[in-house]
Amino acid sequence: MYWLEKNQLEQLVKKLAKDYRIFGPRRDEVSGEVIFDWLENLSDLDLQASIPYNPPKFILFPHFEEILKYRYDHRSKKAVIERINLLEPKALVGIRACDLTGLLCLDRFFLGQEFVDEVYLEHRKKLFIISNTCVRPFPQCFCVCTDSGPGAKEGYDLDLTFTGEGYIVNCGSKKGQKLAEELGLKEAGPEASELRQKIIDDSISSFDRFALENKAWISRATNRLTTGFIKPEVWEYIGNQCFECGACSFVCPTCSCFNIEDVNSKTGDTYRVRTWDSCSFEGYTKMAGDHNPRKPVEDRRNKRFFCKLSYSQSKKYLRPGCVGCGRCARVCPGDIGLPNVVTYIRREITEG
Amino acid sequence: MPYLRGLCNFCGTGCGHFLRVENNRVRGVYPLPGHPLSKGRLCVRGWHIHELLQTEERITQPQIKYGDRFKRVSLEEAISFVAEKLKSISGQEIAFLGSPRASNEDNYLFGKFARAVMKSNNLSLSSDAGQEESAITLLQGAGWPAMLGSMERLRQADFILVVGGDLTKQNPIIASEIHYAHRAGAELVTISARKTQMAKLSQIHLRPEPGTASRLLEAMAKVLVDEGRIAADFISRYTEGSEKFLKYLESLSLQEIAHLTGVEIELIRTVALKMAEAESAYAFYATGIQSLDHRTMAALFNLYLLAGKLGRPDCGINPVTGISNLLGSYDMGVSPAFLPGYFSVEDKAAWKRLEEHWQIKLNPIPGKSVSACLSDDSSCRVLFVVDHDEEIIRNVKKIKELDLVVYFGAYENAFARLANVIFPLTTYVESDGTYTNCERRVQLSQKKVEPPAESRPLWEILTLMAKALGHNWTYRSAEEVMTEINRVVPQYAGITYGKLRTGWGLKWPCDEQHPSGTDSLLAEEMSRRFCFILNQDEKLAFLPRLQEKDQYPLKLVVGRSNYFWHQNSIMKKTFIPKREYNALLLLYPKGFVEISEEEARRLGLREKQQVRVVSEAAEIKLAVRISPDILPGMLYIPYFIDEMIPEFLHRQVADLEKNEEFFLPVRLEKVE
Repeated sequence: MYWLEKNQLEQLVKKLAKDYRIFGPRRDEVSGEVIFDWLENLSDLDLQASIPYNPPKFILFPHFEEILKYRYDHRSKKAVIERINLLEPKALVGIRACDLTGLLCLDRFFLGQEFVDEVYLEHRKKLFIISNTCVRPFPQCFCVCTDSGPGAKEGYDLDLTFTGEGYIVNCGSKKGQKLAEELGLKEAGPEASELRQKIIDDSISSFDRFALENKAWISRATNRLTTGFIKPEVWEYIGNQCFECGACSFVCPTCSCFNIEDVNSKTGDTYRVRTWDSCSFEGYTKMAGDHNPRKPVEDRRNKRFFCKLSYSQSKKYLRPGCVGCGRCARVCPGDIGLPNVVTYIRREITEG
Repeated sequence: MPYLRGLCNFCGTGCGHFLRVENNRVRGVYPLPGHPLSKGRLCVRGWHIHELLQTEERITQPQIKYGDRFKRVSLEEAISFVAEKLKSISGQEIAFLGSPRASNEDNYLFGKFARAVMKSNNLSLSSDAGQEESAITLLQGAGWPAMLGSMERLRQADFILVVGGDLTKQNPIIASEIHYAHRAGAELVTISARKTQMAKLSQIHLRPEPGTASRLLEAMAKVLVDEGRIAADFISRYTEGSEKFLKYLESLSLQEIAHLTGVEIELIRTVALKMAEAESAYAFYATGIQSLDHRTMAALFNLYLLAGKLGRPDCGINPVTGISNLLGSYDMGVSPAFLPGYFSVEDKAAWKRLEEHWQIKLNPIPGKSVSACLSDDSSCRVLFVVDHDEEIIRNVKKIKELDLVVYFGAYENAFARLANVIFPLTTYVESDGTYTNCERRVQLSQKKVEPPAESRPLWEILTLMAKALGHNWTYRSAEEVMTEINRVVPQYAGITYGKLRTGWGLKWPCDEQHPSGTDSLLAEEMSRRFCFILNQDEKLAFLPRLQEKDQYPLKLVVGRSNYFWHQNSIMKKTFIPKREYNALLLLYPKGFVEISEEEARRLGLREKQQVRVVSEAAEIKLAVRISPDILPGMLYIPYFIDEMIPEFLHRQVADLEKNEEFFLPVRLEKVE
């Protein structure tokens, strides 16, 4: 462990910027809201800013991405396929614990199964991750309910915890260790580790005061979702409020569904494009001949929460699919973010 | 490039978003949390606008058609070609079809080009009927042509009434605000014949028979009178015409209306009283593509006026526009009825004022809408069209016969193929421009990516063309056009790019008295009184047709509302929304008629079975779609199947497409 003085942060980021494109939280100048973004201007980095409105998912799994290019030659009847070279290495500076947990879920989906997603892998292996402990929860947070914060447990190269004066630095990889050494950071003893734990404990105990927007006691809901004992009327009530916009999937740090489209360009090349997709859309599960296993909107809602919270699905992620960031509640036109859905499920349990 | 702040250009909500730009292409979108209306939400369309903005299906070259083939030409060539032809064209011979998606600056100069350069007042939009009706009705009643209330106080409302089409599909984020207000405690009531999602979200859903919504609202007004719940002080202080209106209400019978509408008296009474009791009450209806008829709008207005729910900061009637800049296009006078700033075309002084501003002699003889110019055997020879975004083009035969059709557009469109000359436009992210959402909020969309080499904003092309015709137009930027709008359009007097760059837009009227815009219409600030709108009697004769039950027992409603975006050409340039919207079209390639489960059972019809819909004048073959959203006795045909228009709807189309209150008596026959 190391100490990082406040003024050394700039040094760290500048050094990192020599080899990586820097992404981190910045404030929009008009709204004052925080967005995780490519920092053209490194001084825009704001580690004290609240949890960004968007998760850093788009950096590894973009909203819209050309993943390969091909051209079909009619005379030789051959298709020439070209791999698209991906961008330079990227560093995520100041990722919150919930979002890092989300990223690890994406890893398990894209890399941890029978087929490895090469495009994701390309993004992923060139990544440098610096996590940032939430010393105080934000209004929408419920990571304590989903075991994904407020401090990061794994998956980072460096982890920062703000003490009020400087940062406690935890190294999570050789890459991270190397950077800390190169910067000549001051080594910290076991007191740093204790202090970090105390900061995290204080943060957890302050959820009652600061994190007032959402609560989601998910364990009972998980039980109910896994066994399938939720009444259809509950899903119908939720489904009626769904505007079918897809936002919950798009803002979710763990949602990984995508669509593939081949786009013919005017030059004669065809681009294969990958875009975000959502299980809330009717066309998502539609099959030939007007068959749709999940046609009514409530079936589609039901599917999403099964994916986030059921035991069988959690086995794939090695944890629940929800990381407690509260974003789905903020972007939902129908006010049926995950915390509300959990409440409706639990309400049904208590009401019998 | 990082995420850049901007605004969505699909519907009239005008949500805030971030666009992610990479190598000069828009690669992603994200909702903008601080936006005062959208508050960090987007709908399915908004979440995919980047798919449209990076499409390959762009118009990128000026082209002139010689014979059957388009030849690429330079911008100068295209302009001098058109200018040469225009020299021998009179104002009566040319018509201008504007775009409700174009910016205020583009619309303003489009109108000025028509009126000042070509001396033509044949100027309109394609989806305008309902918006024009709404503006006229509200001007008549309140002297203010758009949203009377504010969206910003809606979540504190006690009562919200939604009349007509489905806002959850047309303006999902407005509907979301209504839903949130409801969740916070507002009573939510929907009036619509169809069981829409808005209706499902409401506590009370009133389902009047098609064509009777206005009577239902009048009945509510009568209840207020009968129960002594009218706002007598407010009425005597701020309104005129109440005596006549009250007298009209006396002539109504609640029993009769209950019978006619199919809504029970007790329910009518409950809703009317809830509204009267509410401290803060709002009403919503959609304009443009799914509007109400004048009579229903007037009845709604009179009801709220009688209850004193207008002219206060926490009340209002809020018309909602379906397309991004539909309201702004009207503000700029792209209409046969209004000059810029809602001066009537009948107003001589207004013409004089405009002549002084523009320093040119104008032709004060009112023009016609473009559809009137094209459907009549009129003298129209030339047509200018901007960014047509519907797949359906009316009057194709007449358009083909014109001497010259000039199309200005950013995206490929069937209309462009009918053109003789095509000009490539920039998209809303490739040039600066302001757009006015349904709240009257004028917002600035700033340039974020470089346009294709030959594409230009509309104002720039029109400036060059005016110059080629000998007019001294000198605009060098959209901002300069806005400084002229400040002088010509009184509501926009105080709207500057400087203010717009650093804020969330300004709600007009924005002038010396209201330098930071106006939230809602306040009675004490009005220079005139509210008026009860009293032209009910004329259409009474229309109602007995409802009783024609023998030969044509079913009421056919033709709607665009639920399916408008299906037939939208820009929607078809996306991936995910295209997939979602196409699903339905693929299932019913030749169109469908929606019918209730009860009716289907009664007639022995099953899903996708072919039927003949027979009216007095014509018939059409369609597939049955059984829908839980339809009342028995009612049929619904979405207005998006091309052939329906010439084959079946004939001349009724003008009335039918205006709003879903019109219906056609028909019968269904099985196809053996």
